[in-house]
Amino acid sequence: MTQRVTGQRFRQRKLSTKQNLQVLREKEIEQLADDDATRHIPKVETGVEKGEEIEHHLQAVISAAQAAAQGGGKIAQLYIPTPDAVASKLQYEDLYPKRFTQPATYIRFSSTVEDSIGCPYCMTAEDVAWLKTYNKKHKGAPCSEDDLEQAINFFEETTQTKQPYASVDNSPVLTYEELESEFDETIGESARNFARDIYIHWKDERIRRGNRPLMPTLKFETNLETDDADPYVCFRRREVRQVRKTRGRDAQVTEKLKKLRKEFEEARFLMSQVKRREMLNRDQLALDKQIFEQRSAVKEVKRRLSIKTDDEDILINQRVSLTIPMSGSAMLTASQPAPRPSKAPRLDTQMLHRNMPGMNSKSQPTRPDGRLVDSDLTYLEDQLAKKADMIDHFVDENLMKHQKWNEGWVDATWRPITPPLEQASAKSDFRRVFTDSQLPTPPASVSSEENGDTIAVNQAKQLEPRRSARIRFATPPDDVPYQDQSRFRRRTGRGGRIMVDRRGVKRQKIEAVDDRIADRWKFAGDSSEDEQVYPVDWTDNLHIRYRIMIERQGERHAQQASRRAIENHNRSMSGHSMPTGGQS
Amino acid sequence: MAPREASHEPAGTPAPVETGIATLAQLRAGVKAFVDKDGEKRKAEILMIQTRAGKPKFYVHYEDFNKRLDEWIDAARIDLAREVEWPAPEKPEKKKAVASKADKAPPKVDPKNPKRSRAQIEREASGTPSEATSSNVPSKIQRKDSELLVTTEVTDGVTPKPEDEEMDVVDIQDAAAAAKAMPDEEYSREDEIEKLRTSGSMTQNQAEIARVRNIEKVQMGKFEIEPWYFSPYPIDFIDVDMVYICEFCLNYYGEETQFERHRSKCTLLHPPGNEIYRDDYVSFFEIDGRRQRTWCRNLCLLSKLFLDHKTLYYDVDPFLFYCMATRDEHGCHLVGYFSKEKESAEGYNVACILTLPQYQRKGFGKLLIDFSYLLSKREGKLGSPEKPLSDLGLLGYRAYWQEVIVDLLMDGRIEANIEDLGAASAMTTNDVLHTLQNLNMLRYTAKNQHVVVLTDAVLEQRERQKAKEKVKGKRSIEGERLMWKPPVFSAASRTWNW
Repeated sequence: MTQRVTGQRFRQRKLSTKQNLQVLREKEIEQLADDDATRHIPKVETGVEKGEEIEHHLQAVISAAQAAAQGGGKIAQLYIPTPDAVASKLQYEDLYPKRFTQPATYIRFSSTVEDSIGCPYCMTAEDVAWLKTYNKKHKGAPCSEDDLEQAINFFEETTQTKQPYASVDNSPVLTYEELESEFDETIGESARNFARDIYIHWKDERIRRGNRPLMPTLKFETNLETDDADPYVCFRRREVRQVRKTRGRDAQVTEKLKKLRKEFEEARFLMSQVKRREMLNRDQLALDKQIFEQRSAVKEVKRRLSIKTDDEDILINQRVSLTIPMSGSAMLTASQPAPRPSKAPRLDTQMLHRNMPGMNSKSQPTRPDGRLVDSDLTYLEDQLAKKADMIDHFVDENLMKHQKWNEGWVDATWRPITPPLEQASAKSDFRRVFTDSQLPTPPASVSSEENGDTIAVNQAKQLEPRRSARIRFATPPDDVPYQDQSRFRRRTGRGGRIMVDRRGVKRQKIEAVDDRIADRWKFAGDSSEDEQVYPVDWTDNLHIRYRIMIERQGERHAQQASRRAIENHNRSMSGHSMPTGGQS
Repeated sequence: MAPREASHEPAGTPAPVETGIATLAQLRAGVKAFVDKDGEKRKAEILMIQTRAGKPKFYVHYEDFNKRLDEWIDAARIDLAREVEWPAPEKPEKKKAVASKADKAPPKVDPKNPKRSRAQIEREASGTPSEATSSNVPSKIQRKDSELLVTTEVTDGVTPKPEDEEMDVVDIQDAAAAAKAMPDEEYSREDEIEKLRTSGSMTQNQAEIARVRNIEKVQMGKFEIEPWYFSPYPIDFIDVDMVYICEFCLNYYGEETQFERHRSKCTLLHPPGNEIYRDDYVSFFEIDGRRQRTWCRNLCLLSKLFLDHKTLYYDVDPFLFYCMATRDEHGCHLVGYFSKEKESAEGYNVACILTLPQYQRKGFGKLLIDFSYLLSKREGKLGSPEKPLSDLGLLGYRAYWQEVIVDLLMDGRIEANIEDLGAASAMTTNDVLHTLQNLNMLRYTAKNQHVVVLTDAVLEQRERQKAKEKVKGKRSIEGERLMWKPPVFSAASRTWNW
């Protein structure tokens, strides 16, 4: 420890812990009289109790360290002497078998000691001796060590609950009858068989120890005055702070209990419902199996009798998987469910259906030619693949066709393939979109009513065809005025194409368009592939307003103005069914 | 050391110490005599006398030695040729108990050595006269076999008490306490108990700790260990030569047969909590005192054998226990641990910290300390160990602090700020200051400025340590292996009661 310094020459400056201090090497500072070095710094306590701070060995080590810190050269490593720990003579390997395998993940464990040590009573040498002689004398099955421990443990625990102060108040050892009447599941069948004999031994032991517990126990508080001074009393409870009793608190407690009870009941109810559901599921499975077996029996019979009818009777309630392909020419599949499911199926969908031999939908009754059904059985995968091919083919074909039409022509219009505008379609045709959340990808374009028993096929797969354009809508903000909200209109155009017009679709600023988003509109137009496509958000409110403004300047300039606008936007061809001057 | 005695002799001591030549028969508890210790004569106080196999045995405490070196000695080691110091003659008064308390208080100051806080707080401090206490000691002790009955051969002028024959361990303690009692640092027992109820795990109160060691030997895992201090294991263990402690569940047995039976049933293979850290050397388990009450109590009983100031007065509920273990095919062997209050009012990040004696001096202590600071860093708090530190604790912490601070200062910085150093190491400002000061690294220059000096000695020490690490391999805690979020306890789960 550094010396205490007495003299003070200058006004001291206090050491600030927030201030940056220079870090120097020893050679970099001029040596002051070394008393000065530390005297302005408040002494910090070691934290060791004062009486122990002066202990010989600690002081020796500290002064050695001090000497080292002051540069006193090498000093032999000093240790504070401690009593010994030596290797034990016990056979470690026997006591602690190698049973531990380290799991790959960190151990998570919550069992308590009580869970892990089995019967808490452990046999003493006396018990072992007694058991040995007992098993020698006793006829029949020998009493096992576990039985003995179980029985004694039961006696001990029962005594503990019935006579908690047995060791103090000199109460007599409980009789066997008293103990027997308490038998419960903690004492096993085999232990019970020996219980009466073990009792005698236990009682002897117990009396020998002044009716105190056989296993050494810790001393807990007994709420006597002596507790406080008794060094053996440990692990006292921290006293409960008395809560003031008020009517309000009582009510609170009642409320809490009620709530708890309700919650428990709900949980119980849920569990019972789950159980019921699972039972029903099981029954259903059993029934399904039965049906299947009976069907195969029928089939067997039919085959044996070579009855060649269609298999309506066999397949009657088997679901026909009917997958609905995307309409190839539908440029946009709006992500809302088909608004009017009762509408007739679209042209190309029907066409596709006709072309697919494997598809036995209800609307197409089974073939009357009476061919064997087996030959007609097809795999779903094949059908799906075929269908996807067909769609691709159909789209490719149309694209080719379109390219052929345009061959040798310079398309000077800026909306070349749009059908003539329907005069009647006014703004009111636009429907507002209400979405609670981001909608999933659109459903099959054939309404579910028409194919009521269609199995839900893997939609993701179905939507894979590369030309499917997808638009997702975010929830429109509540505070946006009507004209800014998204609205949509669906029209049927030339050749049965479906067009969805949109207004006020909110999107990110066009500058932020990245490749992925741009890709969405890549095939949004009917333009052929060799044309450059520039992503321009025509539905951007700014653009719409701009155009409206231009329209109002007079129909004469309309064409011109929009051309300019297009030029400004790199002559994009991607706009489709834009509301134009003629419309409003 | 003997010479120190003189310096402690305070000026104006009211009552001179009574000294004189004593015979073996005159020795009693409280007497200070010179005792042969490792070839050296040291002054030691007799705390307890027992007769074993017809021979008197003396339990002595060497002055200025830590209590862990207290031991039982034969009469032959006591140097009766030299004068002994008699305890302050206040025994007769004690009978009068409360009534005479007031006038007794002043002379209670130990005339020998007022700084000695080993002297216990007087029972009077809590308003319980020691006699009353001892007569109330539960009847359990009465059944002790005769060999444990203490024969105090008091034949000197002091009136022997009539109950002397029935004195037992506790009585002797009381007597010893009374003999050298002095009003302790303005810290009453009630105050302390109240403080312990709400926080902390260390006692400042000597009455709690100055006790005769009650366990002879402990068998645990592959080792036999000599306990250092008293621990409130079942009182029955006074009689046994060896207490067997299961390495995994820490249950205790007084008999080998029982222990073996237990081992055949015990299924625990590691501390019963979640592993929150694992490297190829050690694992750390986090254990909630409330959820694993038995295990944590067992752990506390065990660690009390080696921690003087630890108190087991209250239960383990408000503490978390971080247990370090090494692994092999047998299981995870507890090496050391530290406990930590779930909510420390005083900003302690460690309550008790212990490397089991069989694993000491192997660098585990540093890992424990390092880990405790890692947790503090994760919590975004500064931490410091609960006081008082033990001698070994102080040295361990100082070594760790030195290493951390010196390493921080050696990273090439030209300026250092004490608070920043603390923030970088999760150490309190005070501890940083303590470290710098202790290493003589804070200097005041002629320019009227404080500077931090990386002294040659410190640098050299660091170099030597690094060289050693190179040879032996450096063990350290790697922060990224800690999978832990500071646990949050609702007021209800943290409460002190059940």
